[in-house]
Amino acid sequence: MSSLSCTKLTMFTIIGVIVQIIGLSLFVFGFFPAKPALSGFSGPESFRPPSFDPVRNENHSMANLPPDELRSLYQELSGFPPFDQLILMVIDGLPAEFVLGKDGKPPRTELIEAMPYTQSLIASGMAVGYHAKAAPPTVTMPRLKAMVSGAIGGFMDVAFNFNTQALLDDNLIDQFFKIGRKMVMLGDDTWLKLFPGLFTRHDGVSSFFVKDTVQVDQNVSRHLSDELGRYDWDLLILHYLGLDHVGHIGGRNSVLMAPKLTEMDEVVKMIHTGRILNQMNNHGKTLLVVVSDHGMTESGNHGGSSYEETDSLAIFIGLNDVSGYTSSTKNTVYQVDIAPTLALLFGVPIPKNNVGILILETFGHLADAVFLHNSWMSKNLSRLEHGEEYRTVVGAYNEFLRIASEWLSHRATDKPVNLLAFGVAAMILSCLILLSLLFLICKEDFDTEKKCLSKAENKSMRTWHLDETFTVVVIFILVISMGSSSMVEEEQYIWHFVSSTLTLLLLRKALQSLQVVRAESLFNLFKGQNKINGFQTISIALLLVSGRILRGWHQGGVNWTDLPDISKWLEQAGDDHVLKAIQLVAGLLVIALSLMSLFVLDLHRILVAVIGFCFLTPGLLVLQHIMLNQDSMFAPSSFSTTLVQTIYTVLGFGTFGIAVASPWLSPILTSKTCSYNSYMSTSDHKEFLLELRNSSFLIGWAYICFWCLLQLLLQQPINSTPILLLLAQVFVGMSYCFYSGPHHKQWIEVALFYYMGMAGHYALGNSNSLATIDVAGAFIGISSHSTILSGILMFMITYASPMLAILSMVMYISVKGINYLALPLNVDSGQLLKRLLGFPCLLPLGLNSILLVADTVVLILMRNHLFVWSVFSPKYLYVCAMTVCVYIGVSIVAATVIYTYWVLSFKRIMHGSASIKGEK
Amino acid sequence: MKNQNQNQRTKTTVVEASAAAIVSASEVFLVHSISAIGLAISFWVASSHHSITLISHPSQTLLHLWVIQCPILILLYSRYRQSPQQFSYLRAVGRGILGLIAGALVNAFGAIALGAPIGVKSLSKTINWSMMMSLFTVVPAASVFGSSWTDWQRIFGYTKPVGPIDYMICLPAHGAVLGAWFGAWPMPLDWERPWQEWPICVSYGAIAGYLVAMVASFLVVLVRGTLQHTKRD
Repeated sequence: MSSLSCTKLTMFTIIGVIVQIIGLSLFVFGFFPAKPALSGFSGPESFRPPSFDPVRNENHSMANLPPDELRSLYQELSGFPPFDQLILMVIDGLPAEFVLGKDGKPPRTELIEAMPYTQSLIASGMAVGYHAKAAPPTVTMPRLKAMVSGAIGGFMDVAFNFNTQALLDDNLIDQFFKIGRKMVMLGDDTWLKLFPGLFTRHDGVSSFFVKDTVQVDQNVSRHLSDELGRYDWDLLILHYLGLDHVGHIGGRNSVLMAPKLTEMDEVVKMIHTGRILNQMNNHGKTLLVVVSDHGMTESGNHGGSSYEETDSLAIFIGLNDVSGYTSSTKNTVYQVDIAPTLALLFGVPIPKNNVGILILETFGHLADAVFLHNSWMSKNLSRLEHGEEYRTVVGAYNEFLRIASEWLSHRATDKPVNLLAFGVAAMILSCLILLSLLFLICKEDFDTEKKCLSKAENKSMRTWHLDETFTVVVIFILVISMGSSSMVEEEQYIWHFVSSTLTLLLLRKALQSLQVVRAESLFNLFKGQNKINGFQTISIALLLVSGRILRGWHQGGVNWTDLPDISKWLEQAGDDHVLKAIQLVAGLLVIALSLMSLFVLDLHRILVAVIGFCFLTPGLLVLQHIMLNQDSMFAPSSFSTTLVQTIYTVLGFGTFGIAVASPWLSPILTSKTCSYNSYMSTSDHKEFLLELRNSSFLIGWAYICFWCLLQLLLQQPINSTPILLLLAQVFVGMSYCFYSGPHHKQWIEVALFYYMGMAGHYALGNSNSLATIDVAGAFIGISSHSTILSGILMFMITYASPMLAILSMVMYISVKGINYLALPLNVDSGQLLKRLLGFPCLLPLGLNSILLVADTVVLILMRNHLFVWSVFSPKYLYVCAMTVCVYIGVSIVAATVIYTYWVLSFKRIMHGSASIKGEK
Repeated sequence: MKNQNQNQRTKTTVVEASAAAIVSASEVFLVHSISAIGLAISFWVASSHHSITLISHPSQTLLHLWVIQCPILILLYSRYRQSPQQFSYLRAVGRGILGLIAGALVNAFGAIALGAPIGVKSLSKTINWSMMMSLFTVVPAASVFGSSWTDWQRIFGYTKPVGPIDYMICLPAHGAVLGAWFGAWPMPLDWERPWQEWPICVSYGAIAGYLVAMVASFLVVLVRGTLQHTKRD
């Protein structure tokens, strides 16, 4: 029988993983290319009607003109006097609904009252406001790029949102610079990173301290009166971040929202009265444009493509005559339309990659007669004799422009087919490798168990049980459901449904082996031979109940987020003190549960006390942080940062120390009064296994509990109870596996942990939209801006539950390790390691590779789907991150167990040689 | 050893059961068609007398359904009780009523564990739905087997029906549960149809599964009966 050796298995697994990594990276780089953009800058040709003979030479000479001449040339070409000064006020995250209302209805009264001046400007026709629909992803940098260049960026711009880079394509700011306009920037320093060196004066603020809602805006406004008094600039950019921060902290209905809107209104009033209303001194005309880069969801997040997030604002204040505009007409434009409109209003060429169209109403101030006459003259008069025909043609032209603009915005970019095909092939190959390895060890497992069992039991082993079938069916369900956009949006239902169905099937299985004659005697379940079954049944019931509470905690997804759930109910019903009390109780219970579980194994007392102390220290520190945190909600104090950093250090050293030390300490670990010694022969092999079991239990315990403590610190306060429930689920699952005995299929139990981990992922409020990523938590305890550190924290917060499930595999191996005491003594180390590590490591890898391949195929099939950028691509990013999570988790588990095994056998060899020397 | 013991025990009860009541295929057909007619009547009463449907008033319609169906099923299945000499007909009816409540609890637990909404609004819906499911799954078994754990284990734990009565109980029960499970799948989709609400599509699924499984159980009993006949010949 050609059985798979341990080295071969490891080698093939590593090969499979490497092939998968290569395939995945090829695919990602192929499918999410950098934005395809025309290079170069547009020049005077932008003002001429398109013609067939390109005038390149002329262009070339003109591009080298000095700024002043270029400026007058452009003015001459455009045929009307441009505005002189532009104030671009960006209010980060302000939904247009707050100012303009929705579906023709005005906004809520408290919002109107919060912005009296702006509302009066709009009501009196002094300002025109638009819903400027933003394209996903609704995060700041891609949206700023869209506003100034008129082009829709690629999806990968999100990835660079934390690592801003200079905008190299043609854009308004560069065009302004070319004609020698002076620019000043106050606010978000993203602008400085996008346009380094173009601003004559600037004061950048960082969007880093999400919890700061006051200082961040004061830093912008403090220069404002000074700048308004000066006339040496042509473009003033104000970027206010405070409103976005308010949203991130408290959502749309935060108590801080109305004061923040009033503050913004004051700024508008100040600019309007100070600059636009007194336009004398021959300083020319000033235009104030108030825009927002994106909107926000009810909970204040953004990133996705829902109406609430894409509903951004554009208000033009200072166009003298806006007769063409009435508030009742359609006032929805695209965000990219801002770029060409501003370009024409200020007499610069329209940026080269622009896909927006002019907002016609903003040109109402021009001398209509001249404007219309010129355009009329340029038409072919013989064909267009009647005004009606002219209007039809103009209408058709506008229609064409609109369609072309939308098509360009949604255009699926060209993808390198070879790269994609190679990537997909590599991923499929690695999936096949991993699955065949899984199949092989499954078969081997089956064969060895067949040898050990009697014939009657053998027969029952061979038939497929319902739970096994279902575990496999789950994969098909998941793969199929990935093709439907609404199922992707509501994936949490699927995971919860399948994991609880699997648990119900296991409950059925546990009831199968209950030996009761009459149903009444069910009540004395815990007596006699039924004790094990009774514990199993109770464990499963607990799993079901905690799973259901977890499911009810966050109403995740996209379509039904407004349905009631426990977290909303708690936030509405309880004030801050109740929430804090719940958080504290959850923290205490997590600590208590962890300490209790430490005493389950009969380990050495003193050592247990030391480890318990090691655990208690960070635990109490976390509790202290919880106590402090709520008081200092609006300003990060340096003390709490130090505290958090201390906790990180203690947690890190604690986990690492226990993981490294426990195999060396294993002989003392096993208490002298250990019950196993009494009935077990003290043979070397068994003692070895016992030590392995104890030390891996301790390491697994440390991984699980320290991870949960870390999550208590990082997650939002409302998520502390789900963390407790997840921890309880892991321990209850362990007890189920302990009692399930050796004949229960291991892969079902590992799969159950994986499924529960995924269900828990959604129970912590995650979804397949980028908007649910907890950005605020990613800055806890970081004293300086670091993309890498906050990225790691964000990853840890988002993948708390799957990571917990995979890390718990160390304890699972320990719990199951006792089964191998029954193995024949002559099993070599490779075989043992393979049996220990086979399923816990290969199964997550295999499951994940199936899902990865399926999602890749779906993404390719759906590349022209309407929702490809808003639903399928974010989902794919989540799957990629999940793959990384599985890699990290599995390698930690494998490294831990191999290390423990290696240390123990090393010690055994040393011991052996020492005793031989002693005999000599 | 234990397993063998249990197998023997199961066999003896099976022998007892088949000795107690031998049911022909036509009788199975009759029982099933009466239950189906009962279902149809309850829908008809709901729609014509109170002009409500499952979609417009799910709770009341389900109430109609189980109130009308309950006496039909309990009275029908109590005829096939095990060891009729020992237990009277009335006692079987009593067991059926007890089973209705116990089964409703079990079904409600299952539904809530799988994600049925908890709340004052959905309370009556859940109660009425689980009463209906209890009628489909637990009540016939309760009337026939009482509290004999091995029989329950055989039917619901192992799904190994032996003999026509077992098929008559086992298949429709499993059909209803499976139908309800599949019926829950459209619920998270964003089609915005009124029937996607709990428990409408789940009830439709359960009823559909129940009806299909009744046909299947009749066919199985028919086929097995003819096979045995030909063997005997």
